[in-house]
Amino acid sequence: MKKWKLKTKDRHIHGLSQLLNDKQAILYHKEDLISYDCDGFTIHKSLPRAVVFPHSTEEVARIVKYCHDHALPFLARGAGTGLSGGAIPLNNEVIISMVKMKRLIDIDLDNRRAVVEPGYVNLKLTNQIIERGYYYAPDPSSQYCCTIGGNVAENAGGAHCLKYGVTTNHILGLELVLPNGEIVEIGRNGVLDEPGYDLLGLITGSEGTLGIVTKIIVRILKNPEGKQTVLAYFDDIEDGSQAVSDIISAGIVPAALEMMDKTAIEGVEAAAFPVGHPKDIAAVLLIEVDGIAAGIDEQIEQILSVCRHRNVREVRAAKDEKERAAWWANRKTGFGAMGAISPDYLVQDGVIPRSKLPEVLRRINKISEEYDLRIANIFHAGDGNLHPLVLFDARVPGETEKALAAGSACLKVCADVGGTITGEHGVGIEKREEMRFVFTDEEIAAQTDIRSVFNTDNLLNAGKLFPSPSRCAEVKKEIKEKIIG
Amino acid sequence: MNEVLSIVEYLTAYKLDYEMSQADLYGNSGQYTVYPTSEEELSEIFAFVHKYQFTVNIQGAGSKRGYGGLIDQADLLISMEKFTGIVEHQSGDMTLTVKAGTKLEDVQRYLEDFNQKLALDPFMPHVSTIGGVIASNDSGPKRLNYGSARDAVIGLRVVYPDGKVIRTGGKVVKNVAGYDMNKLFISSMGTLGVITEVTVKLRPLAKSTATCIISFQGEDRNTIYSFTRNLLNNSIEPISCELLDPIVSYKISGINKLSLLISFEDVEKSVEYQIKYIQSLIEEEMNLIVLRNSEEKQLWDRLYQLPIDKEAEHNNGEKLFAVAKIGTINLNVIDILLKVMEIRRNTNIDIYTHGGVGHGLMQLYIKGEEREMIETLTKMREVTNENGGYCIIKHLPLAQRLVFDTWGETKGAHYLLEGIKTKVDPKKILNRKRYVGGI
Amino acid sequence: MTVSQQKSKQPACKDGVSNYLWNDAPDETKWADCVHCGMCLESCPTYEQTGQEQHSPRGRVYLIKSVAEGKLTVNEEFMDPVFACLDCRACTTACPADVDVGGLIEEARGQVRQAIPLKGWKKSVNKLFLHGIFPHENRLQTLGGLLKFYQKSGMQTLVRKTKLIQIMPKHLVDMEGVMPKIHSSVKKKHRNGSVIKAKQETKREVAMLTGCVMDVMFSDVNESTINVLTRNGNDVHIPQNQTCCGALHVHAGDRDMGRKLAKQNILAFENDDTVIVNAAGCGCMMKEYGELFKEEPEWREKAEALADKVEDISKFLYDTGYEKPKASLNKRITYHDACHLAHGQGVREEPRDLLLNIPGVEMVHMPNADRCCGSAGIYNITNPEMAGAVLASKMENVPDDVEMISMGNPGCMLQMAIGVKNHGRSQKVVHTVQLLDWAYQKESRG
Repeated sequence: MKKWKLKTKDRHIHGLSQLLNDKQAILYHKEDLISYDCDGFTIHKSLPRAVVFPHSTEEVARIVKYCHDHALPFLARGAGTGLSGGAIPLNNEVIISMVKMKRLIDIDLDNRRAVVEPGYVNLKLTNQIIERGYYYAPDPSSQYCCTIGGNVAENAGGAHCLKYGVTTNHILGLELVLPNGEIVEIGRNGVLDEPGYDLLGLITGSEGTLGIVTKIIVRILKNPEGKQTVLAYFDDIEDGSQAVSDIISAGIVPAALEMMDKTAIEGVEAAAFPVGHPKDIAAVLLIEVDGIAAGIDEQIEQILSVCRHRNVREVRAAKDEKERAAWWANRKTGFGAMGAISPDYLVQDGVIPRSKLPEVLRRINKISEEYDLRIANIFHAGDGNLHPLVLFDARVPGETEKALAAGSACLKVCADVGGTITGEHGVGIEKREEMRFVFTDEEIAAQTDIRSVFNTDNLLNAGKLFPSPSRCAEVKKEIKEKIIG
Repeated sequence: MNEVLSIVEYLTAYKLDYEMSQADLYGNSGQYTVYPTSEEELSEIFAFVHKYQFTVNIQGAGSKRGYGGLIDQADLLISMEKFTGIVEHQSGDMTLTVKAGTKLEDVQRYLEDFNQKLALDPFMPHVSTIGGVIASNDSGPKRLNYGSARDAVIGLRVVYPDGKVIRTGGKVVKNVAGYDMNKLFISSMGTLGVITEVTVKLRPLAKSTATCIISFQGEDRNTIYSFTRNLLNNSIEPISCELLDPIVSYKISGINKLSLLISFEDVEKSVEYQIKYIQSLIEEEMNLIVLRNSEEKQLWDRLYQLPIDKEAEHNNGEKLFAVAKIGTINLNVIDILLKVMEIRRNTNIDIYTHGGVGHGLMQLYIKGEEREMIETLTKMREVTNENGGYCIIKHLPLAQRLVFDTWGETKGAHYLLEGIKTKVDPKKILNRKRYVGGI
Repeated sequence: MTVSQQKSKQPACKDGVSNYLWNDAPDETKWADCVHCGMCLESCPTYEQTGQEQHSPRGRVYLIKSVAEGKLTVNEEFMDPVFACLDCRACTTACPADVDVGGLIEEARGQVRQAIPLKGWKKSVNKLFLHGIFPHENRLQTLGGLLKFYQKSGMQTLVRKTKLIQIMPKHLVDMEGVMPKIHSSVKKKHRNGSVIKAKQETKREVAMLTGCVMDVMFSDVNESTINVLTRNGNDVHIPQNQTCCGALHVHAGDRDMGRKLAKQNILAFENDDTVIVNAAGCGCMMKEYGELFKEEPEWREKAEALADKVEDISKFLYDTGYEKPKASLNKRITYHDACHLAHGQGVREEPRDLLLNIPGVEMVHMPNADRCCGSAGIYNITNPEMAGAVLASKMENVPDDVEMISMGNPGCMLQMAIGVKNHGRSQKVVHTVQLLDWAYQKESRG
């Protein structure tokens, strides 16, 4: 074995390496860094200065303190599956990869909680406890590989959030390294309502701009006694949308209520997990009800009848767990499946009041025509969270810009009907400018004011979440001055 | 340059609805009380007080005046009592926007006609305004299933201490655009701004409900512990799983026994199935009563009224009445409740409690004279700290609050809380010293 | 001088920006489907070990693409992640868009091997195994004979006792420790009469790939395969001009040698309708021969014709029907999915079904059964550290209370045997078809 040594003159790489218990847990060659120049959002790319792999909170704190003291921009990254560019090193950041901090520290079934490190993968938690009758509710489609730390940063949602809420509703406590390197604990022991402002709620969804989470106490839930999934095919997307509203109006709270349109169906059927959805239908609905088994049949009957009332072509309940799982695998891999029908895609994440669904779908269709780009729709219809997938080919000059503009136009529609620009993917780099669709300058300043309390020098994940390029430019200049000075 | 207006001159000049007010037992009042009815009025008031650095206290209908705060009177008290009404109800979207001064009970009554409800069960819903419930993040036993304000609120309008109006969140049920600023104002005790409008998500009213009272013959820890644990480990979906000490149980149900209050809300088949299930769990030394309809409603009403004690209000403070909130790790509720019973047996103090074994929040009531009251509160704070939790005071006269800190010791990240307060209210004019660590 | 070395002196055409200088470069259509979603990450054993994205499928695809886009060149830093890949194909299963990561990796390795010829110890190993032994039937047989001699003559005992063993590289020591008892080569045994008749009525004739390693180290598995096939009405043809399938060469980036071997096999099996393979790695390779001939369309066609005829033994038995054994084996067994069976050929349920149909077999679930064991051709010799770490994760998932671990690939069998030995376990490592054969034998013994 060759003796390992750093092959770089960058003194900060040497400095950071010294702080790590495993001195080799640092990447700095261009070939190694290039995999970190973007995350699940591939339109903006920028190389990090280095990637470090701490194994403990103390190591994270040391690295952060070093970056703070030397005015090095830095950010934390989990599995890098985020869809809005939150982990992209816009300012040549030092990336602190949290994936080696992946222990499951404790499971306390009696008190319904688990303690995990941020690099722990979402689905692993459920897999650990499901046989004992429990699960972790937030289930983003990327749950096979996304980390819970990343989920906290993005306040991740998922198909089953309709009934059970998003990540923020399931976080009981956090350990956090502040941007100055200080370690703090909030929500100690996972006890509810700790006196003081709700920092737990504020940090969840702050897209890694307020601190780096190093330990997470999550709530776990009891498996529902019964579960049934219904699949419904509609020839007219408006009928499908109306069925969604009718189900909710009937007083049913489904665990999940998902919809895919014709283009989306084409994608998932062409990809790795086809289930045989007919190619000529306008929309498929996937409706899952869970709870006490004795009460489920009644709700399923009601759902079937609502769908029939709305001219459904075919509607039926899953015949067994295998079929149910196949339907979900088909749905959950929907984004990636777009690769099978388009070289690139841009996924949007608008939310609208449920009742506006037919109108918004019409308007998105119009945008698709105007920009001459196909738009597939996969969405959490139950809570009005749309995922228009703008299909494009980045190799065609100008098409990326066109796709971005079409995506932005979709968000404008969502904002116009009283909705918002992101329901679960976060603002990141992607939707910074679109923040203006929903917030005034004053309201944005109210938020950046809060950031400055935590992230005083804005070294941590700068340039994310908020618009105003002038401000960003200022920050960059400041940083530059600090480095030079 | 114009001369500085006094508060009263301002209120008169702008023809606002106000009155002069007196200091009282609980503090947190103002020299004058103003009753704004619009956001513009509020915004202008704040622009004025901010400019001249007058201090302002804020209340809904005043049910939480004994909850924190070290100052008798500010220059002005803003009461939201007349800031009421439904702004927008999108029945199909299951969202509701309501003015902050609206009483919670009125909100629920309004929604009943639509077979909907706001899934929140704070104490004293008939006197509490929705703004107050949110600012204090108050919740009751049904939090187990309902969650609290932090789970129900999707958007707020807030008037900042300088008069600007900030919207947080939005009108849709899922939203991660920007920071989750709603959370900042929920449980902030009015120290960061005045909530004027609240948008919440709604739930359908359950088709069927029932509440089981399981009373235990004895007070054996192991029996209670294993029964509760077993109950929670089954796939029933209770809305509440509240352990009552014999005093509370007697006050609300007439049963003078340590009891568990388990309620269900679902379709009828499911509720009946779960009741049968509970019946199957009942052991010899336990007793089960199932309440439905008006009987059930009355039981819950009595529980939510426990913080109101007429006797204490009329004895001129000779016997004090305190209400405390305890947070702990879920099942530790059992040990803390047994400890309270032990204190009651060993001292003269009138103390009683109940708490949710599925969420770890407890409500504690104490009646007694000042010295023993403070001693008992001190003891309870020790007990809760040992159990990994906290004990804060939801109701106590000002004089005793000055002696016994409502919030307990501040934790490590306190400078962050101070930083937030300073950013939002740099002149510290709003609800000064009302919150943790004198914020 | 080998063909590849000649080529390395004269790079082929270089289009626009691409930094791939030789023919048969990674195929753009293969990465076009990757949208960087990251769903592959957790499926990847090397990402699990390192946590580093350049060692993940998504990262590797991105690197390969970056060279084509001219952002990187084929150099040592590029080589490392490309060669650290186990080529286990788990990412292909996980990928929502069906990106052929394995194919890309093999093509990229072809480029690397031409740009950066091997040096030192790795070169010796590669050369010894890939050029010196596997393609040469006689040498393989000789090696087999030597091994047999080594075991029988008492030399094995001698080597172990005299600590001669301490001067052998660690992994070879491991391998030596678990070396199966060497039987006689099946191919050699049947060199005169090329068809072995079905035991009773003939239903059909099938050809069989005897394989290189399989026929030396595990010729008893080949015997079992023949027994099981003939028992179920199959005449078994063993073409004498067949050779090593070339998988190891292609995995190592030696695509020229891969092509040469592929051509020989294509010809050898030209007249057969069905080719039975009992080594997952070989089966998978033969099904992918077409990939090697992008620039030789006539061979590509022939390769694809062969691919259609290749069938794994377990799937063949499952599809064509077989006699369920009547004798009881009374064993607790767990099943390990060979990567090139589960991920490479989509064969998962068939071998399990086969085992479940043996009376007395109790199947115990192995968590993450389709996780790579770290064998990966000669990966365990060239990347012993990573292979060891991957094996350790694998062993954690092997249930404690089973007597046997069954699987369908010789590479896995050797690696798992090392795992059993090094991790202080007691399980016997067997090929699925052996169990069926043993049950039949027990039945006929009465």
